[in-house]
Amino acid sequence: MKIRRGSGEDAGKVDIQMAPMIDVVFQLLIFFMLTLKIVAPEGDFNINMPIGSAAAASDEPPPLDIKVRLLANPDGTLGQVVFGNRPLGNDAPACFDRLNLEIVGLVGSGGGFADDMSVEIDADYNLNYEYTIKAISSCTGRIDPVTQQPVRYIEKIKLAPPRRPGEA
Amino acid sequence: MRIKRAASSVVEADMTPMIDMTFQLIAFFMIVTNFEQTQADERVKLPADQLARPPLVPREDELVLNVGFIRNTKGEKVDPDPFVFLGDENVRVMDYGPYLKRERQVADLKHGDGAHKNMTVVIRADYEVPTGLIQELIKLSQEAGFEKFSFKAKSDDGAG
Repeated sequence: MKIRRGSGEDAGKVDIQMAPMIDVVFQLLIFFMLTLKIVAPEGDFNINMPIGSAAAASDEPPPLDIKVRLLANPDGTLGQVVFGNRPLGNDAPACFDRLNLEIVGLVGSGGGFADDMSVEIDADYNLNYEYTIKAISSCTGRIDPVTQQPVRYIEKIKLAPPRRPGEA
Repeated sequence: MRIKRAASSVVEADMTPMIDMTFQLIAFFMIVTNFEQTQADERVKLPADQLARPPLVPREDELVLNVGFIRNTKGEKVDPDPFVFLGDENVRVMDYGPYLKRERQVADLKHGDGAHKNMTVVIRADYEVPTGLIQELIKLSQEAGFEKFSFKAKSDDGAG
């Protein structure tokens, strides 16, 4: 039997067709590049507002209800942060640090009663939402400067009923 | 004189490094791409906060409400009132009550009666929205029967 050998040096060398593979690979590459959407990570704050909290408040008053009042300037910027009856200023990052310290003081002295405590945030109607988030954040906890891990203080945050401009 | 002929006149480029790189790139983009269905609306500029960390366990049922302003390309507000973005529809916050009632019906039909009680209303609001309107939105949601609420914020690692 005569085995037909390929001519000369082509013998034994299998030539893979690269072109189609590269075509497909580039298609895939372009597809993934176009579908790439960079999404900034988002976190959330839980708000504890069961239905009828205002009506049912008389039945079982929570043991420690901390009130944080946020006053607004007419343009929506922060006017004043009031913790209980104490004004904490309106210098945006620093006053929330002070609020955070006040909360730490309360939680620390409460000796693990943080679960029973709740914070009510009572903001002016036109206050920009970012300040409300800052206030919620400084009541919820802080980032530990050493470990960079969040430390939780008070989980139960609620918002006061809205102060409509005509009614207040 | 005898001329030694080259093996062939076709110059064969070495494809291996290019294919290596291309596969690397594909692998990178495949890993980075997430096809997760998010109900985030790009028009909402979330406030940033350090404590905002993505939840460890994703919630099962949530109703995402995007509240923001309609802005032009320069970022200026076209309308001073914020809207709830619902697909292509923009609804004023105070008019959103009927939509929430409908969401409740949908939730109950989908997961059985009372399912709306386990549903979290996730509010993604623009940082400039007046807080009062968020409170109104929560009130409307409560009237529609929703009980759990959550505010979204952007993670912020730097100072600020």
